[in-house]
Amino acid sequence: MTAAAGTWRVLRAFAWMRWRVLMNSLDRTGARDTLERFSLAIEQIGPMIAFGLLVPSSVGLAAIAAYAGYWLPSSDRVLTFDALRFLLLAASALSIVGPILMPSLERTSSIRLLLLPIPRRTLYVAQAATALSDPWILLAIPVVAALPIGAALGGALSVAAIALAAGVLLLLLLVGLSALSTLVLHLAVRDRRRGEWLALILMMLPMLFILPGMLEASRNREQRMADRAAAAERRERGEASFAERAIQIGKLTYRLAPSELFAAAARAPASAPSGIAAAAPPLVGLAIAGALVHGLGLLAFGRLLDSPGAIARRQSAGSEERRVLRIPGLSRASAAVAQAHVRLATRTPRGRSILFVPLFVFTMIAIVMSRRGGLDPELAGLTGGLQLGAFGSAICLLSILPFAVNQFAIDRAGLTLEMLAPIATRDFLIGKAIGSALIAGGPSLLCLPIAYALFRDGPIALWLSIPPALLAAYALTAPADAAISAIFPRHVDLNSIGSGSNAHGVAGLLGLLSFAGAMLPTVLIAAISIGIFRRPIFTLVLMLAWCGVALVIGGILFHPVAVLFDKRKENLGMVASVGTKN
Amino acid sequence: MDLAVETHKLTRDFGSLRAVDGIDLAVPTGSFFGFLGPNGAGKSTTIKCLTGLLRPSSGSMKILGIDPLADPVAVKRRIGVVPEDLALFERLTALETLTFVAEVHGLDDGVARERADDLLELMDLKSAASALVVDFSHGMRKKLSLAAALLPAPRLLFLDEPFEGIDAVASRQIKDLLHSFVARGGTIFLTSHILEIVERLSTHIGVIANGRLVAQGPIEALRAGAAGSKSLEELFISLVGGDSRAPVALDWI
Repeated sequence: MTAAAGTWRVLRAFAWMRWRVLMNSLDRTGARDTLERFSLAIEQIGPMIAFGLLVPSSVGLAAIAAYAGYWLPSSDRVLTFDALRFLLLAASALSIVGPILMPSLERTSSIRLLLLPIPRRTLYVAQAATALSDPWILLAIPVVAALPIGAALGGALSVAAIALAAGVLLLLLLVGLSALSTLVLHLAVRDRRRGEWLALILMMLPMLFILPGMLEASRNREQRMADRAAAAERRERGEASFAERAIQIGKLTYRLAPSELFAAAARAPASAPSGIAAAAPPLVGLAIAGALVHGLGLLAFGRLLDSPGAIARRQSAGSEERRVLRIPGLSRASAAVAQAHVRLATRTPRGRSILFVPLFVFTMIAIVMSRRGGLDPELAGLTGGLQLGAFGSAICLLSILPFAVNQFAIDRAGLTLEMLAPIATRDFLIGKAIGSALIAGGPSLLCLPIAYALFRDGPIALWLSIPPALLAAYALTAPADAAISAIFPRHVDLNSIGSGSNAHGVAGLLGLLSFAGAMLPTVLIAAISIGIFRRPIFTLVLMLAWCGVALVIGGILFHPVAVLFDKRKENLGMVASVGTKN
Repeated sequence: MDLAVETHKLTRDFGSLRAVDGIDLAVPTGSFFGFLGPNGAGKSTTIKCLTGLLRPSSGSMKILGIDPLADPVAVKRRIGVVPEDLALFERLTALETLTFVAEVHGLDDGVARERADDLLELMDLKSAASALVVDFSHGMRKKLSLAAALLPAPRLLFLDEPFEGIDAVASRQIKDLLHSFVARGGTIFLTSHILEIVERLSTHIGVIANGRLVAQGPIEALRAGAAGSKSLEELFISLVGGDSRAPVALDWI
């Protein structure tokens, strides 16, 4: 057998294996009852719709690309070509970012791969080729395939040949970028602790990107005008500011983007005076970039294969002291459940993001508002510290949703330990609810003194009415969240940066609705008492009374939820401990 | 005879599959009961039914004289379990895991600390007491799961494959510990594929095949009853029908 035939057999075997994994995941869900079948079916609807949309999208893109290719030789600029250019630019960006945010399953199960009698280079090709199934690359394929066809139909065979060569090189480069991104991510997260912190940073990164814009927007008009005048003076003197230099570098980088090199090559024969020869530099650029990226990918793959296992440095999570949480009025068993729940949140990237992200958002808004002198009707109607405090506390409470609506399955094998513990179901559920309250409560209550210290506005009675208002909403949400978690459990990995740590889609939606429903009486009480009575103290008294009523209602609601939990216990145990058997 | 585990027509279905088919178990108090069966015979399902992790489709059972369906909390107070998935929180340390168990069982702080120290010492986990379970090897997890099961000093232990993945030194220590547990009146219900271990440890065995209990009783009595069977392996293979299978000759190997 020749080397090429051997490589082809390996690629075919990998493609078949991935196809069977996909089909088996759809056919054999392992659902144990109707409710679980429904739950799993709903989870699969999203990907199926996406797949369904992919086919007409590809056909549509191919038609547009063929049209653009047909007119490409005769026109310097074709609008459709520019639209496709930006689509390919997005595909280029997603090839790097996509594998980080949406890590594919099974893409780098390198320990298993090591056992196969396949040379490393072939293994790398097989691994990298899986990127061809990424949606952004799947959408790029019809574009780069149909463009030369259109050009050929228009009679410009040389343009078609160049576009085809550029398209092949572009696809190879995108596949390489995707593979390299995946491999570097796997190398980075091999050390559990490093991986966890990296995951948290990646979760926070989108927030950091919008920070400069928000800070810029927070400055008043006079400051911005003064800065612009200073920049104009510097330009006249021939000096460039840091921001201007950054923009210049950005423009240069943009010109070197894979999609731009492809566009430059495809358009060169029509737009450049030197004709076909002008296509050479971008083609060479694509080829060099592709070779470089695949070379680095092969190096990273080799490094991964040399030590494929996860590095589990056994590090201390704290002192050896027994730290036991005791809460007055709560049984020791419930308190232990609550403490385990809190520890899960503070020791996983997703849990930490629940603690940090809302506080980060609150801090950014607080900074913007304080720079603007406290009044910013553009920011979600926040006109003062009182509203800011209430808003911050509410988003902290809401941020617990991914945990709260999947509160049983997130424990994985730990749920079995809880089920084997001599604890009544209702006490167990209350322990979970207290745990979630402790996770959200800290950041939530922290927002209030910060907002008060920054603005010191509004009557103190209204400030004091915020904690009971939030507690009332939580008292009603907690049993609903427990019920949702029992009906729609999802096996999750709280280390995952992407969707792997999300709760079931329906659970998330229902959780959001239950939160909105639970907040409604609180909002109504506040609106009526402030609007009609105009006495802040009335608001505080009414809110305290409502809080008491809500706590009683919540306590009563836990009884039917306990019955529901007992009925769903077996499924929960099986969903939670998937993959943790002996 | 005083029975620690007693089932009557215990059945568990998963859709159309009958995993446990009307078994009548009788495990004497103070016995070391080895529960054997081929892969997929229904051992783990039976343990899950007995420990309250699965609800039987039909039949009844009593654990230490208590109906676990009527009073599950009372049963859970008296038993310790090392289940199939080891039942450990990945994000708790070894000491925190034992503290959690002590808290849910309502043990005094002093007693809990003393027992946790003893068990961590015995399982050679003292140096890893403050490390997260997620960083533990499989063997360490198994030892911690066993420590968690033993911490509340149960009267009945359910152990699902407790020796799989455990090193020889720890295995020896655990066997000694289990022996002394039975000598003090405790009962052990153990499943294992390692027949030598079951033969060496067990006083009684039960054999399940295709969800049905094909034999149970004192190990010596079963051996004596099966003519020609010298070892537990031979007895087991004859009971589960393994000797009736035609040998497959892989001539191409």
